[in-house]
Amino acid sequence: MHSLDHLVTLLFWLAVAALAFGTMRRARLWRAGAAAPFNWAQLLTVPRRYLVDVHHVVARDPYIARTHMLVAGGAVAAVALVALNYGLMLYWPLLNGAIVLAAAVMLGGSYLVWQRRRAPLPRLSAGPWNRLPYTLAAFALGLLALALLPSALLSGFFAALIMLALLAGTAELVLGIGTGGPMKHAVAGVLHLAFHPRAERFAMRSTALRPLDLAAPVLGVEKPTDFRWNQLLGFDACVQCGKCEAACPAFAAGQPLNPKKFIQDMVLGFSGGSDAAFAGSSYPGITLGGHSGAPEEPILPALLAPETLWSCTTCRACVEECPMQIEHVDAIIDLRRFQTLARGALPGKGAEMLGNLRETATQGGYDNAARYHWAVDLNVRQIRPGESVDVLLVAGEGAFDMRYQRSLRALVKLLQAASVDFAILGALEVDTGDTARRLGDEATFQAQAARLIATLSTLTFGRILTADPHVFHSLKNEYPALGGHFTVLHHTVFLAGLASSGQLKLSATSETRAITYHDPCYLGRYNGETEAPRALLRQIGVRLTEMERSGLRGRCCGGGGGAPLTDIPGTQRIPDIRIADARATGAGLVAVACPGCTAMLEGVVGPRPEVIDVAELLAAALEGQA
Amino acid sequence: MRYPNLLSPFVLNKLTLRNRIVSTAHAEVYAEPGGLPGDRYIRYYEEKAKGGLGLAICGGSSPVSIDSPQGWWKSVNLSNDQIIEPLARLAGAMHQHGAKIMIQATHMGRRSAFHGEHWPHLMTPSGVREPVHRGNAKIIELEEINRIIKDFAAAARRVKAAGMDGIEISAAHQHLIDQFWSPRTNFRTDDFGGSLQNRMRFGREVLSAVRAEVGADFAVGLRMCGDEFHHDGLDHETLKEIAHEMASSGLIDFLSVVGSGADTHNTLANCMPPMALPPEPFVHLAAGIKAVVNIPVMHAQSIRDAGQAERLLESGMIDLVGMTRAQIADPHMAMKIREGREDEIKQCVGANYCIDRQYNGLDVLCVQNAATSREATMPHVIAKSGGPKRKVVVVGGGPGGLEAARVARLRGHDVVLFERESTVGGQVNLAAKAPQREQMAGIIRWFDMETTRLGVERRLGVDATDAMILAENPDIVVLATGGASHMGQVAGWGAASGLSVSAWDILSGRVAPAQNVLVYDSMSTHAGAGVADFLATRGSRVEIATPDVKIADDVGGTTFPIFYRRLYALDVVMTPNVWLDEVYREDGRLVAVLRNEYTEVQEERVVDQVVIENGILPNDQLYWALKDKSLNRGQTDMETLFAAAPQPSLSQPLGGGRFLLFRVGDCISPHNIHGAIYDALRLCKDF
Repeated sequence: MHSLDHLVTLLFWLAVAALAFGTMRRARLWRAGAAAPFNWAQLLTVPRRYLVDVHHVVARDPYIARTHMLVAGGAVAAVALVALNYGLMLYWPLLNGAIVLAAAVMLGGSYLVWQRRRAPLPRLSAGPWNRLPYTLAAFALGLLALALLPSALLSGFFAALIMLALLAGTAELVLGIGTGGPMKHAVAGVLHLAFHPRAERFAMRSTALRPLDLAAPVLGVEKPTDFRWNQLLGFDACVQCGKCEAACPAFAAGQPLNPKKFIQDMVLGFSGGSDAAFAGSSYPGITLGGHSGAPEEPILPALLAPETLWSCTTCRACVEECPMQIEHVDAIIDLRRFQTLARGALPGKGAEMLGNLRETATQGGYDNAARYHWAVDLNVRQIRPGESVDVLLVAGEGAFDMRYQRSLRALVKLLQAASVDFAILGALEVDTGDTARRLGDEATFQAQAARLIATLSTLTFGRILTADPHVFHSLKNEYPALGGHFTVLHHTVFLAGLASSGQLKLSATSETRAITYHDPCYLGRYNGETEAPRALLRQIGVRLTEMERSGLRGRCCGGGGGAPLTDIPGTQRIPDIRIADARATGAGLVAVACPGCTAMLEGVVGPRPEVIDVAELLAAALEGQA
Repeated sequence: MRYPNLLSPFVLNKLTLRNRIVSTAHAEVYAEPGGLPGDRYIRYYEEKAKGGLGLAICGGSSPVSIDSPQGWWKSVNLSNDQIIEPLARLAGAMHQHGAKIMIQATHMGRRSAFHGEHWPHLMTPSGVREPVHRGNAKIIELEEINRIIKDFAAAARRVKAAGMDGIEISAAHQHLIDQFWSPRTNFRTDDFGGSLQNRMRFGREVLSAVRAEVGADFAVGLRMCGDEFHHDGLDHETLKEIAHEMASSGLIDFLSVVGSGADTHNTLANCMPPMALPPEPFVHLAAGIKAVVNIPVMHAQSIRDAGQAERLLESGMIDLVGMTRAQIADPHMAMKIREGREDEIKQCVGANYCIDRQYNGLDVLCVQNAATSREATMPHVIAKSGGPKRKVVVVGGGPGGLEAARVARLRGHDVVLFERESTVGGQVNLAAKAPQREQMAGIIRWFDMETTRLGVERRLGVDATDAMILAENPDIVVLATGGASHMGQVAGWGAASGLSVSAWDILSGRVAPAQNVLVYDSMSTHAGAGVADFLATRGSRVEIATPDVKIADDVGGTTFPIFYRRLYALDVVMTPNVWLDEVYREDGRLVAVLRNEYTEVQEERVVDQVVIENGILPNDQLYWALKDKSLNRGQTDMETLFAAAPQPSLSQPLGGGRFLLFRVGDCISPHNIHGAIYDALRLCKDF
């Protein structure tokens, strides 16, 4: 028992005070955001959300999972023990022994952090993050020395050295939250888990956008404080690991978007300042230092270039990869809503498409009656009020595209072969409004939805079937909030059911080329359906060669979120990258399950694998087929 | 959305067509004895239905009366109830694939010949003879008029009873109805002649009787001319009046408009515009008529391309596009358009092999598609072989070799194609050099693209030797080496000493045209007239001589008039009925000795150049070099070939030096483009 212990006790309480003060200071910034429900009891959800949901993502990278477990686990244990032994002034040697253990674990973790930062991946941020192995190690070493060294040595120079190390480590740990340092993530991350703006995601796959109150004074987000406070908190949880950056198709294509930088810019927005100090990869083509923000200043264009906002394909690859459970796409859509609804600042062909939707209820400005022209010779029933049918086929905008009509004709052939009681929506069909919604035009989306829901409510059917994952997602996940409750099936799921029950009789495919399957984002990531199309392909004897990014982590085709309309240039096109993925497997054929993916992948020029919808492959393998 | 017009459905009366693509009525020359559609007829149309077209109108010039001869062109006979059952089978076959089917009904009047079948006395309003068919005819009487009107109604009843989707009445190409319309053929002074109203009476009564018979809900159309192009015939303005009158009668659901009269050789050539005419040469006539009627207008004449068809619909000139020869060339055209496979469409080039055969009373065949109308035995879509994968070496990149390579490749084999020249095409490349014959190259364009797309290993610019072929270690060798100008037949021509040159020499540019040129054409095909045209167009003074009865005697009815139009305009002297005995040099010029076939009198021509078209001799050197080394000693088994069955020799183990040797096309004996392609298809489809 000597004076150094008291010094540590003092330091501990000072640190607690600094942490509390810093957190309150930071919380004041968050609380400038718009209202969102709040309940302290939500803090109780943190352990489960951390150990299950966060771990589920982090565990995909075993090295960093191990590293974080050691360094954070060691630190938390050490701090808790210090709180006990020094905070409460117990000064028990036994507890010091435990501190030694915890600090050793933490030191080991710090070593791993150091290792990783010796040759850092390009997705990692440098700057203050690079000092972490040293400050964390200093903290651990300080504790080790404090607890291990005989008291005789704990004076003079050594004592000063130990206190310096502890001071440095403690400063890193507790000042981050108040000053925006790297360790901010520990506090903000925990609070973010507790007060997450999309809390449903911890119970189920939750990807639907929230309906916007069109009577609200501000439509969407203009300035940082228009975000809900817990969204701002969520931005602060970012650890700049860059997993999102590595997954982002727009970033890969050299378009001016980097989800990691985007989140950091949102942080800059509500905390104020310039992006000059950002220590990661910038938006491709945009140099650092040119943008700055403030809580009450419009985000576009001072903080964020419009091209960045409109580069997003809403594919959710960033969200899927984010260990901190940040919702990048929701933020993008919030910003788009303001740009589109309040400012009409939609680039490219976006505005033209929205005009078409309002005037013709089709994206391309077509005659709705032409939507099912491809079916006139197929002897398909058109649904009528008063006549009931089991399955109602909703084709979507792709029905106007000659290419996708082939997929639809194949689907009809399969339904007929399986004797499914089905009808088409025919000229009654209007666009779901999905693309309008992704482009921020919530008003047009809600108008389209109201119209379609009204039409569907006059009809008697059991289930809705569609081959378009965007129609599927919209009707299944987003219409309920607007009063449209339907059973909706994607064609691959429905056909997989028919095939496994024997109602759809398939023989082996005659296709000899190697086949890979491209997961549509709105089927895979948005709806978790990655198995049905694969099961169908297995059923006809296809042995899939998987691409490096597949399933829930599949790479976007570039067609989502209205990106083909806003058409922000990059250094290459996203579908080119995706086709390169397919080529790398040696596939001669890419099976798809989405009209958007089909169009994007077929748009790749030069020799490439053929792109064929699963339904077309099945139709060619129908039993009794010549 | 591509082709928003072409691929949009169309409603005719109660009928919904899935798109605007029509195969309009044409004489097929396929009907079985008695004028009944049989298996071949039905399969021919069914293939188009499978291929995705909206509507087919079959049975060009199907007679409704027993005295309108059926046999000359093996037309469908609508004059008795036997027709109902086969038509019902046809309708069923079409409907199964989502297509609609109508039939054309007519009375030909004077437009026929009397000397056949029942030896009828042909009838026409005023007894004026029809020149093209040498149709001597009597003046039609009132009783006959009334009977024929009833015949039309009875035919319509049969068509409806068979479950067909509609009927088209022909008043085009100078059939009986337009013989009444035309001042060229109607000089009557009764109620059916004189004023236009009177001249329209017969047609109107036919339509009334037909409509009364079939009721309001059955589609009835009328095919008519947009301008007869005769000084004494129906002009466009008069035909607009007629069209307006017929459309406003409420009796018909659509009009099908064609350009040109058809009762002289020269006007006939316009009806199915050959390649010399520009695309859609007469659509303005259909558009003119559309401007004065309130019912849909259909038009066919050289609409061969999807983009072209879309443009005509988009511009509002017409409502339905007839793409008839286009679908003879490729019955799957509509489907390929729908599927974005336009590049795979075998596009009609207007060679008119089809119609030129028909005018000779022969079955319609496509110059570039040997499967058309042979659907029972020849596949339009080549299926992969279930047997062993083979190495097939094809020598010669003319149409026969290209088809052999294409078909063998589609069967799943590894195919090497040797071609001596740097481009594929063979003799067709030369044929395309003649003026107004450039589109012949379109035949090769398709084969060129297909063999490339399918991955045939093409060794262009390589003059294959037997050693090179054997070095490929082939399982099968197909020789399609064609031939070379046959200049040595008469020693007196002096070809060996350079006194005469071949048509190939001129067309290929190897020999420049001289000032005064005698073209001697012993073949009378397109080549001789073409080379005369080629020379005259480049400023030579040309005489073309032939032992045949007329110049270009073996060129069909819709094509020889094109040559004549050009040769007469270029002052080419045409001398039939002479043989070329000798060419000799005198005073630095050439003297050609011609001998009259009938008088034996010789006459001389002093010229600067003698160009001879005497067909070809087969290139058979490779054949003789390989024959003894092959398992089958180069023999094709004719019994199985003609039965469209696999060659028996294919069942032997091949490879390791054991190979089969076959030949196709001109390298056996001179055929034509169709012949070479047919040889290749029927042989290679079973590889």
